[in-house]
Amino acid sequence: MPLGVEVRVLIAFFTLTLLGLPPGSSLAGPPVPGISEISGTIRGGEARVRFTLRNAFTPEMVEALKSGIEISFKITVEVERVYRRWFDRPMGQVRYTRSVRYDALSRVYRLHRDDGDELLADVLAALDRMTRFEVVVPVTGDVEKGKPYRARVRARLDKVGLSEPLRSIFFFSSLWDVETDWARGNLQAP
Amino acid sequence: MGAEHAKLRRERWAIGIVAVLVAALTFFEAHLAAVGGAVTFSSNIVIFALINLNVVFVVLLIFLVTRNVFKILLDRRRNLLGAKLRSRLVLIFICFSLIPTMLLFIAATNITTTSIKSWIGGRVGQALTGAIDIARERLEEEARALSPAAESAAAGLLGTVDPASFPRVLESSRSLAPAGTALLFFEKDAEVARDGEVPPAVREEVLTRIKAVNGDGDAKGTLIGDEFAAAWRRTPGGVIVVAVRSLPPAEAARIREITKAYDEYHQVRLLDDPIRASYVGILILITLLIVFSASWMGIYLARQITVPVQLLAEGTEEVARGNLDVSLDYRSRDEFGTLVASFNRMTADLKAMKGNLEETNASLTRTYDELRRRTAFIETILDSISTGVIVIDRHGRIAMINKVAERLLRIRTDGAVGRMYREVLREEHYEAIRSLYREAGEAAGGQVERQVELVVGETRIAFRVSLTALRDDAGEYMGLVAAFDDLSQTMRLQRVLAWREVARRIAHDIRNPLTPIQLSTERMQRKYAAVHAEDPVFAECTEAILSEVNTLKHLVDEFTRFARMPVLRVEEGDLPVEIRTVVETYRTSHPGIHWEFRQEGPPRLWFDPVQIRRAVTNLLDNAAAALGERGSVTVTCTHDESAGRARIDVADDGPGIPLGDRGRLFEPYFSRREGGTGLGLAIVSAIANDHGGTVRMRDNTPRGTVFEMEFPAHPPAMEKTGSMAPVIDDGGREI
Repeated sequence: MPLGVEVRVLIAFFTLTLLGLPPGSSLAGPPVPGISEISGTIRGGEARVRFTLRNAFTPEMVEALKSGIEISFKITVEVERVYRRWFDRPMGQVRYTRSVRYDALSRVYRLHRDDGDELLADVLAALDRMTRFEVVVPVTGDVEKGKPYRARVRARLDKVGLSEPLRSIFFFSSLWDVETDWARGNLQAP
Repeated sequence: MGAEHAKLRRERWAIGIVAVLVAALTFFEAHLAAVGGAVTFSSNIVIFALINLNVVFVVLLIFLVTRNVFKILLDRRRNLLGAKLRSRLVLIFICFSLIPTMLLFIAATNITTTSIKSWIGGRVGQALTGAIDIARERLEEEARALSPAAESAAAGLLGTVDPASFPRVLESSRSLAPAGTALLFFEKDAEVARDGEVPPAVREEVLTRIKAVNGDGDAKGTLIGDEFAAAWRRTPGGVIVVAVRSLPPAEAARIREITKAYDEYHQVRLLDDPIRASYVGILILITLLIVFSASWMGIYLARQITVPVQLLAEGTEEVARGNLDVSLDYRSRDEFGTLVASFNRMTADLKAMKGNLEETNASLTRTYDELRRRTAFIETILDSISTGVIVIDRHGRIAMINKVAERLLRIRTDGAVGRMYREVLREEHYEAIRSLYREAGEAAGGQVERQVELVVGETRIAFRVSLTALRDDAGEYMGLVAAFDDLSQTMRLQRVLAWREVARRIAHDIRNPLTPIQLSTERMQRKYAAVHAEDPVFAECTEAILSEVNTLKHLVDEFTRFARMPVLRVEEGDLPVEIRTVVETYRTSHPGIHWEFRQEGPPRLWFDPVQIRRAVTNLLDNAAAALGERGSVTVTCTHDESAGRARIDVADDGPGIPLGDRGRLFEPYFSRREGGTGLGLAIVSAIANDHGGTVRMRDNTPRGTVFEMEFPAHPPAMEKTGSMAPVIDDGGREI
């Protein structure tokens, strides 16, 4: 059955509207963030996973950090037992948040972690602490010696802490869109 | 039903699209809104829903406006009724909203941009930097003021916190510290002793700072925060003594405000372009909302105006086509609603009136048909009678006239009905009617009957005129009826009868002495012829007497024959044979004349052969006498089967009959021929009359005379009554 005039107008209208929308990633920077240098060990009911977040801070984000904007990353770490001919078995997962904010009064960068705050004197130290992680993941099940274990890590820009007036202005817009793909690394079993 | 289904389908489409749109926008916003964190999840959902609703409404508004604008353009292109007015109204609304809105948009954009630029590019930044430097200096100064107390406590501890000497150390240090100062003692990132009250948040912050200090390896320093100022000293034993003092709440609040303003300023400076873009975007959204709202309002108002106008126009067109069942479905309390209601009421009234009119028309038509039927019936009656009738209304116009009257009075004018009778009738006839009308006015009963002679054509004809004045029940004059009866036939018949009586008496009175005269004369010749042989007078006289007696006898025979017409003996016979026999006789006796006989129709008819032969003989004798030695005579015998009448035409190409003689042509003893008795045509007329028929005379073409004899030719039982006397018309028409 041929489409009516009104339906055709409707389709054309929404097509043009969608085509006319600004791309949501127009403010995102060109560097591709990712997770690297995943390593660690697993033993005794926990896994200790180390990794590095690279290309997470664009120059604009660094400037924003210097301007007092709080930047927060949410890290997800999963540990799984790897099987060659079967589905991998999840053993544990941790969601971990780390944020940094510049204190203009005392001129320090305050790094906030789940286990406490840390004060850093300069931006480079702050960025270094924001990109190097060592996370302890509680695992369930027995850890078998000599068997393959793997950690999967993903990082995502969680929040950009704007001041109150700016928060209402940029309620809808994301200043930066940082999200890594899942990265994998083997863990050493005892 | 199809339209409702289509509408339902459209609504489902719209609901589905809106739902998808809301879901997509919610996901989109939730994904993008990574800014801020103070808003709870439920609040976020509510805000997103409200905002999505607004966005959907805006999108729907844009869609509806776009759709309606397209529709208006299409309607305008199709030249639909009201499309031009609607498009004009919408254009006016858009123009009236677009121009001020655009001006407002430009002005607001400029003001916003200028304000932001002036705020971030002026002295605000310097002032805020100066303010935070001052606050920092103030806190540093406060911290430096605490250094002696921290240094004294650290010196008194001699490396470690000894419980025995601790009170003394505190005593000596307290005297060096400003009021409100607390002493905190940390060893290996843990608080081991404290003197004085410190808010927990300050303690936590100091601990965090001490942890950072531990990594540096310095021996002393100061710590500042937006709520405190502190000075610390490290003892050789690794104990860190911190003299900390919380700021008064008001002072701490001011410092927080300065810090907050400083942060906001730098954030605004950093996000200058996005902020401006955001403001411009909001302005654009508001502008679009105003423009499209105005457009929608224009479309709505235009529709409010054009829809009833279009309905009224279509309804009027339907009414003009004759459809009075049209009823406009439009309900409103405004003037258009009143107008449409009036229109519906008007069409209903028109329909009712039309129904009444149709009913009245049908009734009138029935009445008219009845009237016409009755009129036709009356006209038929009037046409079937031999009396001429003229009905004249009160205004002198002819209301009715029958064909007999037209024929008798020779009124040839078509459409005499409705005209003044003075215009239609001849002057003499008009005067006669006027005279009779006056008499009728004086007569009792308003009726008068007179015998008058009127000249019709070249002939003076006697009429019996009966005139009756018509009056209604109230005695009001309505008109008059004039009836005309032609008396000429009756009079002629009376004359014929009189002549027959005369002829009978003459024959009787003359025949009786003729025989004695003849016998006496013959006796005288026999007895005295020898005596008067020498005298020729005797012989001549007696011969003369005998000759005249013979002539008189012949005359008497003719009169006798005329007076004693034999009784009609009708029998079935062959009419053409009888006529042909007579014709052949004349062909022999008059060889110089061309005799022609024509026959049409069946030969076997009912008639008196003797009388018919005699009539034809008289007619042929007249024709031969009129032609003399040369000429032609055509005798035609025809039969009208439908009317059951036989007709015999005798046409000659002779000199014809003068108009003046035609009125007396069939009267006895009228003859222009020398030696004629004047009884030939009278006998023909009598025979035709005895047969129930007529004999007519008319001019032949190109010259000559035609006598037409017509009579019923069916058996006697079926014999119909015919005219009693011949009719003469100088134009050849029966009158």
